[in-house]
Amino acid sequence: MGMSREEIFSRVKETLVEALGVDEDEVVGSATLTGDLGAESIDFLDIVFRLEKAFNIKIPRGELFPENILNNPSFVNEKKLTNEGLAELRTRMPHADLSEFEANPEVDRIAELFTVDAIVRYVEGKAT
Amino acid sequence: MKFMLVDKIEKLVPGQEITVSKNLSLAEEYLADHFPSFPVLPGVLILQVAIEAASWLVRLSNDFSHSMLVLKGARQVRYGNFVSPGQCLRVNVKAKEIGLESSLFQAQGTTEGIRTLQAHLQLSHFNLADKDPRAGQIDKRIINHLRQQYQLIAGDLD
Amino acid sequence: MRWIWIDRFTKFEPGKSAQAVKNVSMAEEHLHDHFPGYPVMPASLIIEGVAQTAGVLICQASNFNEKVVLAKISSVEFEGIALPGDTLLYSVEIEKINEQFAVAGGKVSIISAHDKGGNAAPKPLASMELMFSHLDQNMAGRKFPDGNFILTEAVSSLLREILPNGGQKPTSNSSG
Repeated sequence: MGMSREEIFSRVKETLVEALGVDEDEVVGSATLTGDLGAESIDFLDIVFRLEKAFNIKIPRGELFPENILNNPSFVNEKKLTNEGLAELRTRMPHADLSEFEANPEVDRIAELFTVDAIVRYVEGKAT
Repeated sequence: MKFMLVDKIEKLVPGQEITVSKNLSLAEEYLADHFPSFPVLPGVLILQVAIEAASWLVRLSNDFSHSMLVLKGARQVRYGNFVSPGQCLRVNVKAKEIGLESSLFQAQGTTEGIRTLQAHLQLSHFNLADKDPRAGQIDKRIINHLRQQYQLIAGDLD
Repeated sequence: MRWIWIDRFTKFEPGKSAQAVKNVSMAEEHLHDHFPGYPVMPASLIIEGVAQTAGVLICQASNFNEKVVLAKISSVEFEGIALPGDTLLYSVEIEKINEQFAVAGGKVSIISAHDKGGNAAPKPLASMELMFSHLDQNMAGRKFPDGNFILTEAVSSLLREILPNGGQKPTSNSSG
């Protein structure tokens, strides 16, 4: 595809502004989709749809935003991810920065992984 | 069924914001179709509550200077949860800008504390006399009706 | 007031696009509250007509197995208003559909009462992008009644007018 990181970031920013109605300057790399940008579950589907259009890529279900981790009993114990769960998350979300999350892998904190940077890294990965 | 989607104005800051409530009752006939065996307030009527709330805010900010307030556009209208009969939907609308011919708003709705609606709205304001000066009398009649309607929903605000 | 905001399908291409017609009439009670003294078709009910046209199209694509509901109005813009005597034309196209959700684009055009005698072309009135959710898929944990309650008798009969078998795909009885 040959897009630079800046170009990808810029187009991801446009996509998020369109899908979520946030101001451009709110869309920074570290911004979380649910916490900072106010995304609801329907918005995740909308974001996938618009990214596919914007970058002419196919995003299979669960690839950008993994599902079926939290409802698997071998991955979760007492509201935290097990080692198995963490390993699964690492495999399924190579585009996420898990370093901070791993220190305290509470289920409630998973949403913090869905950042603008994670989306940019995912799109970069699709390009190569 | 009466097409009035605001039951009460609970809070009003002219020029800035309004909060309204809408009770949902099984007596509202359209619920029989939406849906049979699963009655819930249709999404577009949740939006209509916000449109009416924004309209009242404009009218009370510019003293009913227009007879016609209609939806010009909306963006990112998102629905959270269903509103069921017996529940009360509360919608808060904040004005981003109220101009002479149009206005912009951000709306948030909750039902028993749970987020039900988020939306960005734009209204367009005009009088029928703008296009046809002979329609001035019709504008006056509409505005009188609206002032009376306001009395019904204003509660203790006056 | 019945909750049906289209009068007739004029075109139905399963899985792709559909067109419907909505007449605006003085006989519709709700118009007389919106507004008292000057009836105007509410924008929200125009949106609903487009949503119903798209919703039926999307629902039929799953052979009526999915309960399809409007989850998000990404954008909608109006150029004017519709009055009694006008006819609204709704045209929708499916932009994306999978087992979780669907996106449809909708356009509204208007044949105004004044123009009806003179064969004027319909004028653009509104355009919108709508997102629909499949209920069972996306609201895990909530108990819904059996069957597809989204499909009312009114909608079913409109479909029977335009599609063979009311749009039901024949179920295959063959094995392997």
